Amino acid sequence: MKGTAFLFMILITFTCLTCRNRSNSDSQFVFPEEDTIPLDEAEKLSTEAIEEIAKNISSPVEIANLLQTLAVPFSPEYLASSVDPNRQTTSFDKAFTLGILGADLGYLNMYEKTGSSIDILSSIRKLAEGIKVGQFFDFETIKRLSLSKSNLDSLLFMSIDSYTQIDKYLRDNDRGQLSALMIIGVWIEGQYLATQVMTEYPDPVLRDRIGEQKIILNDLILLANPYCNRDPEFGELCRDLQEIKQSYRDVKITYTLGEPVSREVDGALIVEQTETSVVEMTDDQLKDIIEITESVRNKLIANN
Amino acid sequence: MKKYLITLFLLTAGMIAFGQSTDPLVAQCVMNAGPNTKYLKDFRIQLGKAQAPGEFRYKTQMSLWKNTRYKFSLCTAEGSEGELVLTIKNDANQVVLSSFDSNTGKTYKSVELVCNRSGIYQLNYDFKDGLQGSGVGVVSMVK
Repeated sequence: MKGTAFLFMILITFTCLTCRNRSNSDSQFVFPEEDTIPLDEAEKLSTEAIEEIAKNISSPVEIANLLQTLAVPFSPEYLASSVDPNRQTTSFDKAFTLGILGADLGYLNMYEKTGSSIDILSSIRKLAEGIKVGQFFDFETIKRLSLSKSNLDSLLFMSIDSYTQIDKYLRDNDRGQLSALMIIGVWIEGQYLATQVMTEYPDPVLRDRIGEQKIILNDLILLANPYCNRDPEFGELCRDLQEIKQSYRDVKITYTLGEPVSREVDGALIVEQTETSVVEMTDDQLKDIIEITESVRNKLIANN
Repeated sequence: MKKYLITLFLLTAGMIAFGQSTDPLVAQCVMNAGPNTKYLKDFRIQLGKAQAPGEFRYKTQMSLWKNTRYKFSLCTAEGSEGELVLTIKNDANQVVLSSFDSNTGKTYKSVELVCNRSGIYQLNYDFKDGLQGSGVGVVSMVK
């Protein structure tokens, strides 16, 4: 009887909250307008091209997931803990640091160090408000999910979705340079994380993932290019990216061909690629990439 | 009984928190991907009826990485005339996977890809037979 009463209470609470959520969600219709089809490559405006490029940059969650798969233990040493949001005065600093901390947040979330992420969340909120995009970062919900540790999926979704919305808003409002900075910040911190772990826990899979970044490095540079002459800070960042690109110059990525193999398991379709990508990178090239990434990232963090 | 209630409560609390600030279909699609997955990205698609069925109309790009197993979940909104389908092509424009089997007419609500070639892929979404519809495509990693 006592159990039934408790269950009834939960159901009533759930029903009430669901009703409240429905009206809340209805006011946030998030589908694009009908027939909003991305145009062909040739017809793309530069802003649309930038949007496509932004999507190509890998998520820091993927790097953190790889580290977990490789049983690499969590270390707070890799985080940009020294960054003080109160010292970020320019929009450049704020947007770039927002990217750096976004990657750190992904790393913390994946390792479920969610209690430790509250400080970073506070910094992210401050920085987001600093460039007037705080409304897209649902700090309270993310904080609650972090503290409850009950639903990692929701936490990942909320965190990533907030960044996606900020990015879109900035681009839609002619502040593409800040969107580019945020994306570059996310990538540099993810790359720093991967290369630092590589020095402590060398692994062929991680080594390949570092080498494969050559695939998107050109895109990253394309993203920054329109703003390289905007101000001295951006100019320096562009030169840093060129330096990283230079360290990848002789890294080779080759492909072996093969047809994908499909099978159905319990009604679900699983496709396995038989074509593969192979990274050719010498130890010296890897060392060079690790050093340049560390130097660029630490310089940018120190500037902040 | 107590364990059951606690599980129910935690599950409910998670869903409530999740649903508070996002579209219900997106939230449902992310949750449907399953407990052994980690969310990466979503694409929200709304299309009218095509003049003639053919090439998939919603095209987007995404980098996919070797040694990763991805899950592509497809959720169609109520009231849609067609069902959301997906094909993925590599940078050589070759089809890597399709959620729709043109030989049997069978569609899958999710497809997993064991990725062995890192690169930038083209994700093409449409509603079956070029019909009108809205839906969400969620990309997750499988643990």
